[in-house]
Amino acid sequence: MLANTADGWGAPAKFFHWTVALLILVQIGLGFTAALWRLSPLKLELFVWHKSTGMLILVLMLARLAWRLANRSPALPPQTPDWERYAAHASHVLLYVLAVALPLSGWVINSAAGVPFSIFWLVPLPAIVAPDERLEELAKLVHFSLLVALCLVLAVHIAAALRHHFVKRNAILIRMLPGRARHA
Amino acid sequence: MRPAWIVPLAFLMSTQALAADWKLDPAPSRLEFVATFEKNAAPGVFKEFDTRLARFEPDKPEAAKLDVTVKITSADMKSGDVNRAIRGPEWFDFARFPQAEFHAEDIRRVAAGRYLARGVLSLKGVKKELEVPFTWQESGNAATMEGELNVERLQFGIGTGEWANGSTIGLGVRVKFNVRLRKEG
Repeated sequence: MLANTADGWGAPAKFFHWTVALLILVQIGLGFTAALWRLSPLKLELFVWHKSTGMLILVLMLARLAWRLANRSPALPPQTPDWERYAAHASHVLLYVLAVALPLSGWVINSAAGVPFSIFWLVPLPAIVAPDERLEELAKLVHFSLLVALCLVLAVHIAAALRHHFVKRNAILIRMLPGRARHA
Repeated sequence: MRPAWIVPLAFLMSTQALAADWKLDPAPSRLEFVATFEKNAAPGVFKEFDTRLARFEPDKPEAAKLDVTVKITSADMKSGDVNRAIRGPEWFDFARFPQAEFHAEDIRRVAAGRYLARGVLSLKGVKKELEVPFTWQESGNAATMEGELNVERLQFGIGTGEWANGSTIGLGVRVKFNVRLRKEG
């Protein structure tokens, strides 16, 4: 079954979750490496990989949002306290917002920098703003701030998943793992 | 009877009426170049340059002389990061080679309104023979010279060291010009 049910995630939801998770980790590594590398052809190549991965994440996130809205989400265990429900909901909303806002702010940086760019050297990406050095600097600051926020929310997200598994001993983490039959 | 000197004088005056000296009208003139950056076109412009075309007679351009000077330091590629990078010794080396020149004294008509100027380009301390094709449109005291050509950047030592491999920054650069001239005198 592809669709989510009351107590389990379908295959598309798991695919989106783990693909985006992996890409975000790769993306953070690529971003720091590219930004800190000395100016050289390799730096430019690293940036093409970083920007391309960002656009891939943006497309996946939009598809993922559409899938999530078109589908029910599995329920939290009935004994979950209200504050946990709100916290879970808020952190998920934040993760979605940040995972979309980060590539968008990167797109603004690239456009404001006036650097021509094709996604994976194939698909030319149009500029969304005119070249402007001050806007470029501002967008870089926003991009970095969003990254810090993403890392904080991710830490909460991962800690919460581990807490559900090891402390509360419920199926929250297990039911997102790939290749497992959902509980009946 | 006419004095004997009137014939050469008339001839001289008629040639002068046809052959003219032209100088640049900077405001509408454009000198652009298109490099490639990660397989994307990366356009740039030299904001300051001068063009002089002396003794140009459209039907018989052999006596003409074309002189172009380009202020390399006026290069603008619409990106602060790129503009900073191209100043350096591996690229244009603004400090040592702020100016490029092209001088041609071999100008031929290849078809109606189409010419080829063969001369020498001095760029970043390297002199190379270069053929510059151009079209010529003249009306009254104004004329437009337009053309484009390819320049191989490595011939002039532009983009050296690890940049000499053309995979990130392409080796060929398209140079385009649309130059407005005014008749002198």
